[in-house]
Amino acid sequence: MPNPEQTVVFRRAVVALNGGSSDARIVRLAAGVARQWKAELVAVHVVEIDWTQPLDADIAGRSEDVQRVLDLAEETAEDCQYKIEPVLLQARDVGAALVDEATEQRADMLILGLPYRKRFGGDFAIGSTIPYVLKNAPCAVWVVREPIPEESA
Amino acid sequence: MIGGRRPLAGRKLADRRVRVERPHAPFFRYTGPGQLVAREAASMPTTPAGRFAARLKKIAIGRPLASEEEIGERLSKKKALAIFSSDAISSSAYATEEILRVLVLAGAGALLVSIEISIAIAVLLAVVALSYRQVCRAFPNGGGAYAVARSELSPLLGLIAAAALLIDYVMTVAVSTSSAVDQLISIAPALNALRIEFAIDSITLITIANLRGLRESGNIFAVPTYMFVGLALVIVASGVFHIITGQATPLPRQPEAVSFGTETLGVFLLLKAFASGSVALTGTEAIANGVPAFKPPEARNAANTLTVMAVLLGVLFVGVTVVAHAYDIVPSRDGSGGPTVIALVAGTAFGSGPLFYVFQLATALILFLAANTSFNAFPRLAAILAEDGYMPRPFGFRGDRLAYSWGIIALAAIAAALLVYFGGITTLLIPLYSVGVFVCFTLSQLGMVRHWLRLRESGWAWRTAINASGAILTAVVLVVVASVKFTSGAYLVVILIPMQVAVFLFIRRQYEASREKLTVRGDFVVKPPHREERVVIPIPTINRAVVQAVNVARSISDDVRAVFISDDPDAAAELRERWERQVPGVPLVVVESPYRALVGPMTAYLDVLDRAWPPDKEAPITFVVIPEYVARNWWERILYNQVARRLRTALLGRPHTVVVNVPYRREEATTPEPEGPGP
Repeated sequence: MPNPEQTVVFRRAVVALNGGSSDARIVRLAAGVARQWKAELVAVHVVEIDWTQPLDADIAGRSEDVQRVLDLAEETAEDCQYKIEPVLLQARDVGAALVDEATEQRADMLILGLPYRKRFGGDFAIGSTIPYVLKNAPCAVWVVREPIPEESA
Repeated sequence: MIGGRRPLAGRKLADRRVRVERPHAPFFRYTGPGQLVAREAASMPTTPAGRFAARLKKIAIGRPLASEEEIGERLSKKKALAIFSSDAISSSAYATEEILRVLVLAGAGALLVSIEISIAIAVLLAVVALSYRQVCRAFPNGGGAYAVARSELSPLLGLIAAAALLIDYVMTVAVSTSSAVDQLISIAPALNALRIEFAIDSITLITIANLRGLRESGNIFAVPTYMFVGLALVIVASGVFHIITGQATPLPRQPEAVSFGTETLGVFLLLKAFASGSVALTGTEAIANGVPAFKPPEARNAANTLTVMAVLLGVLFVGVTVVAHAYDIVPSRDGSGGPTVIALVAGTAFGSGPLFYVFQLATALILFLAANTSFNAFPRLAAILAEDGYMPRPFGFRGDRLAYSWGIIALAAIAAALLVYFGGITTLLIPLYSVGVFVCFTLSQLGMVRHWLRLRESGWAWRTAINASGAILTAVVLVVVASVKFTSGAYLVVILIPMQVAVFLFIRRQYEASREKLTVRGDFVVKPPHREERVVIPIPTINRAVVQAVNVARSISDDVRAVFISDDPDAAAELRERWERQVPGVPLVVVESPYRALVGPMTAYLDVLDRAWPPDKEAPITFVVIPEYVARNWWERILYNQVARRLRTALLGRPHTVVVNVPYRREEATTPEPEGPGP
């Protein structure tokens, strides 16, 4: 039972997935928190389309790898006995699409994963999406950083 | 546009995005490259009737379960004792009665021997239990008689054990159910008139529960099993106390009691009483079959549980017999609705107070649970036999609720048929029971002797001695049981076991023959087809379905011809005129059929085509493309496609012939303009 004195963390959250190792972690985490408040979860995966192709080119729909990202998120949520609504997007810029989708979905939380990359000596590649979302999202943003593997620490 | 949606506007002009629809998502889930897993919706029927049937099925047996939802519960010794012992312990509820029923034929004095006979059976039980403790240790993956005999003796002996086991399981259901009904009749004699109906209803309920995937939940089993054991021990203790203190006085004879006979108490009668009482041993092997279900260390826990079960069964069986003798209890006549021996024994301790009713209910429940044990074991054994190719493959398929539905339904049907045939009377069923059980015991013990001699592990000598003595003793009992009960029903089992083995071997041979014919060698590389292809389209007229069939035919081969079989030359001429005008390039062959037959002339025409093929060339593949109108309702199915169905049946198995059904749905629009209604 949630503590009534505790603040509601979110009612509806967009969970941004990138097909990486942190996807399952953030879905489990989101499901665990959402259960306390019976909050809704929306899993969003954005496929970036470069300017050489039309935005509605049939790319994401044909790719098994892309479909698998959301299927795995759904499966992970089901393992946690929670429901997550999958949304697949094609856009020119991932950060902008996430912010716009969170706005349209009236989400009060946007959850992103920050994976640890072992290559090139190991580092958190924060890229351009997370800074964009942090700067522009209308709702709270929760960045879940992966733990640093022991051998790299 | 993907999914037919417009791009969604973003905060900036360049931030547009497109939502991509995922049509596979409700039905499948991608788990790897080129790999999909079907979801529940993929198995759902698409027609309204199918959906209605699925809803009814869901109400009756529950929602379908995914394979991963199977519960792998490991059992503690207490739960395992309740689950696996209900069959064995429950036999103490009727074994004494079966001994007394034989002995009364020799008069009241003969009943005294019942104690000696029960002790002899208890000794036999001790030997069998000791032997099965060895099975638990040697076969930690479950040492059913089939597994032991098959791996240690020979496949044929394994099959004999399997046949005997299947019979044993069927008999357990029939005997336990009829005996459970007997117990209920003891407290409510009015039920006697509905004995069979009540038994069949009980089997139906157990069947539905098992089709729903009733797991061997320890709690369901524990309550009635421990209640029965506890109260039965109280009854025995109270009876023994009364005997010691001299308070055990003979009970007045109940009106339904059997009359004493005048036969001589000879060897045959003694052996017959022993054979009838040996029904107490049924179910002893259940623990050895279920070793993997125990918590680790599995083998030791199973062996110890087996010992506890044997001690409890021995104490209860001998105790009930001793108390029954002390009170001069005589069984009631078959089907009379009189109280059972166990009910009369219970009455000596509890009178007619509430505990008596509680005990009778617990007895009935433990007997129903004993029947349920077979509902777990029979389908599993049938599935193993199906996997080994000895039973039809559907026995190996698990239904919506992860239960082996075919096995469950087959067991219920056979047991119910037996109950009806024997009028639901336990005593009439008993002779069929013990033979199969002792065949299993003997083969299992023989297999163990071979096992120890082959492996020569530490302690092999004394282990061999235990199993060998078990094998000899059970073999002797088998001969006794089969011979003394032969005429009263055991002959059926003696006939059935070899028949079943013959059926197993026949099925296996069929599967092996078909596998041999279908096998593709590992080094064989599939090359493009080398036979020529031709297409024949039987047509009833020109309509949309025929046009669609012609299009399909043209995509298969260039050699396409339509065949119109008619008994009306004018109609044929008219059709030819239309055909040549509307379907140019596809020759029409008109076959006049003055005897009005359709299918015969069609197959004869195909034969003629084959004979006309140049003998120096390899025979071609003939595709028979049959246009079919897809019926929307059940009554439409009666109206359409009857000839197509007959033709399809006639062509089934014809060499070098492929039948292609081209269904036409009413909604489909084809290129040419239609000319009238469907075929």
